[in-house]
Amino acid sequence: MNKQSLWRYVFVTAACAIFGIAIVVQLVRINYTTYAKELLEKSQDYQGVEKTIYPPRGTIYDRSGHILATNKIGYELGIELKSVVDPESIAFATASILENMDYAAIYQIASTEKREIENRYFVLSSYVSKEDIEELEKLEETYALRRTETKSFKPSLSGLVWTPMQQRTYPEGTLAANVLGFYNYFSRETAQGVYGVEEAYNRLLTGKPENIYLPNDPYLVEVLPEINPGASLVLTIDREIQKMLEDTLAEAIDWSGAVGGTIIVADPETGEILGMASTPFFNPNAYWEYEETFPGITPYNRAIGTAYEPGSVFKVITMAAALDSGVADLNTTYNDATGVYWVANSWPIYNWNYGAWGVQDMTGCMQYSLNVCLAHLAIDLLGPDLFYQYLQAFGFGRSSGIDLASEANYPLRIPENNQWVELDLATNSFGQGIAVTPIQMVTAVSAIANDGKMMTPHVVRSVVDRGQQYDVAPQVINTPVSAETARTLTDMLAIALEEEASIALVEGYRVAGKTGTGEIPTELGYTSSQTNTSFVGWGPVDDPKFVVYVWLEKPTISQWGSEVAAPVFRDVVEKLVVLMRIPPDNIRLGLTSE
Amino acid sequence: MNNRIIQAYKQAPWRVQIQWIGLFLLALVLITAIIGIYLNVSAQAATSGRMIQFIERDSEEIANEIAELTANLAKAKSAERMLERAEAMGFRMLDPAAAVYLEIPGFDPSTDLELAPPRVNTISESPIIRSAYKSSLWEWFVKQIWQMPASSLEPAGESVP
Repeated sequence: MNKQSLWRYVFVTAACAIFGIAIVVQLVRINYTTYAKELLEKSQDYQGVEKTIYPPRGTIYDRSGHILATNKIGYELGIELKSVVDPESIAFATASILENMDYAAIYQIASTEKREIENRYFVLSSYVSKEDIEELEKLEETYALRRTETKSFKPSLSGLVWTPMQQRTYPEGTLAANVLGFYNYFSRETAQGVYGVEEAYNRLLTGKPENIYLPNDPYLVEVLPEINPGASLVLTIDREIQKMLEDTLAEAIDWSGAVGGTIIVADPETGEILGMASTPFFNPNAYWEYEETFPGITPYNRAIGTAYEPGSVFKVITMAAALDSGVADLNTTYNDATGVYWVANSWPIYNWNYGAWGVQDMTGCMQYSLNVCLAHLAIDLLGPDLFYQYLQAFGFGRSSGIDLASEANYPLRIPENNQWVELDLATNSFGQGIAVTPIQMVTAVSAIANDGKMMTPHVVRSVVDRGQQYDVAPQVINTPVSAETARTLTDMLAIALEEEASIALVEGYRVAGKTGTGEIPTELGYTSSQTNTSFVGWGPVDDPKFVVYVWLEKPTISQWGSEVAAPVFRDVVEKLVVLMRIPPDNIRLGLTSE
Repeated sequence: MNNRIIQAYKQAPWRVQIQWIGLFLLALVLITAIIGIYLNVSAQAATSGRMIQFIERDSEEIANEIAELTANLAKAKSAERMLERAEAMGFRMLDPAAAVYLEIPGFDPSTDLELAPPRVNTISESPIIRSAYKSSLWEWFVKQIWQMPASSLEPAGESVP
């Protein structure tokens, strides 16, 4: 190798080395400049994103598997500032297509300064419908054509991004809305179930959201952690029965002029609620109209949320206490000679028609719904201690324990309270001066229909979570009366209805029941002519499969439960036996004996 | 004398050059092979990473589509719609008095709805991605080295699961 060649080699090597060293020096220098931190922070934006993954909310089924609440596709709409080209078009498009979007506010966000270097994302709406997104897509296509024609960058929706996700929907509309509640999904961070099953089982239905980091670097990508969807619920509600109840209730309110009402159908053997209709009806798909549908203190579900003085349906409880304690039996008589019963020689108690009904046995007392007879039973035979012990055993004064949110409970006024007076004992015996919710009445009366065993009322039959089904076992709350008392009382009330030739009677089926007309107290006492009309009944008497409770508030067509609530009970039972496939007694008993 | 011995055993210059060139080429081949394997494994890892991202995106889209279709189906089968369709097809509500009841042995209309099997103990599933695709070549190599003596020391015979 001559000297010239060597010099060339040395020169090229030195040049390469200097270039390499310069690169290394520059790399080191960059790390120690004032911009290093800024550059590092900026690079974080491109490395990945932190994201909260919300599991899909659980589905709610009726007892036959019909979907009552599920999820449909919705979109999160946001602005990605670094991609925004034309803030005016973004503001115009969103404000003109979507409701509740303000042009000025969106324009302000979209035109945030330094947007070219800031990788910021603003959520405009957590849930936008598929239809609205389709309109935005069409508009973007139109804008693209215009840009091609004019060869400019505007108009453009670049930077306006929509991400698909799931939102709550109720395919049955208003059906069973009072039981289901609703899910206020507009703000995903604060979304939660409100009222009904949605609130009571909110945590189960929601599942557990997970915060995860999604790297853009494919070397760092890992399989997302398994995120279980929220648990699904199978309700005890039967969709067909629920629909029938809501239709019947709507007709009954229309016919009777009542301001509101509720009908409950329960299975006394298990405590399962088969149907629960309550007014006003409400569409949870438009839950933001809640305040218009339920103005003031209107309860979301009267069946559990309103305590009222039930009137004579409560006599069933008083008579059960009297029979079970042994202070009275079927042959016990009461002589209603004057039609008035004086409490502590101070307060008179009258019958519903202010008449005297002569000598009556216990069946007669129930058949003619004699207040004086029941007041006599409570004061002279049972006494306050025994009477209120039975009331507490039947669950009055505390929540029924139904698995629905916002259950109301009115405390029981007992002799230990300072405000209690002996008159309370008399009026309580026939359902005045005591406030109960329809579900409390159903729970208590179910004990009479179920051989004395009082079951916890419930609307959830099974929970399906992580591929496994957990069935809810029926629970006995208490046994307030013996099976013998329960059967005796059931038979007594069936006879009372038959002898009275009540409108509540259902052809082919033997049912037991009791009407109720509760006076509504005002600030001056019971001065209003308006009433709460109720009917509670169960059947078939030999093997009860259903308890039906009807309450119509302030009807105008008549003030009597026997004229307003009883025919509604009959209508319900006539349809119910078909839906529950209960044959008429003669056929059923014939089949059983065979 | 010494020079003569050295000269006698000294290799010819061209042989020395060839040896050096050979060694250099060997090193070059080795380095190239290592780089090649590394690139290959890295490319597979990157491809797997991208595949995961695509599959997860697809999975999310499919889940949303299923939700939409389920909601549409539920709406089409809602009580109101079914009633309308039944009426349009000429069906009418049953008159209880006209009902005919038959006893069908073994038929139980009150069968409980089963959406999923009842609760049982579960065994955790094995990871979807093999660890080989989640580690660098060096990590994989070290792991193999460490695993080798462990597996060779394992006693022969029945293994307990």
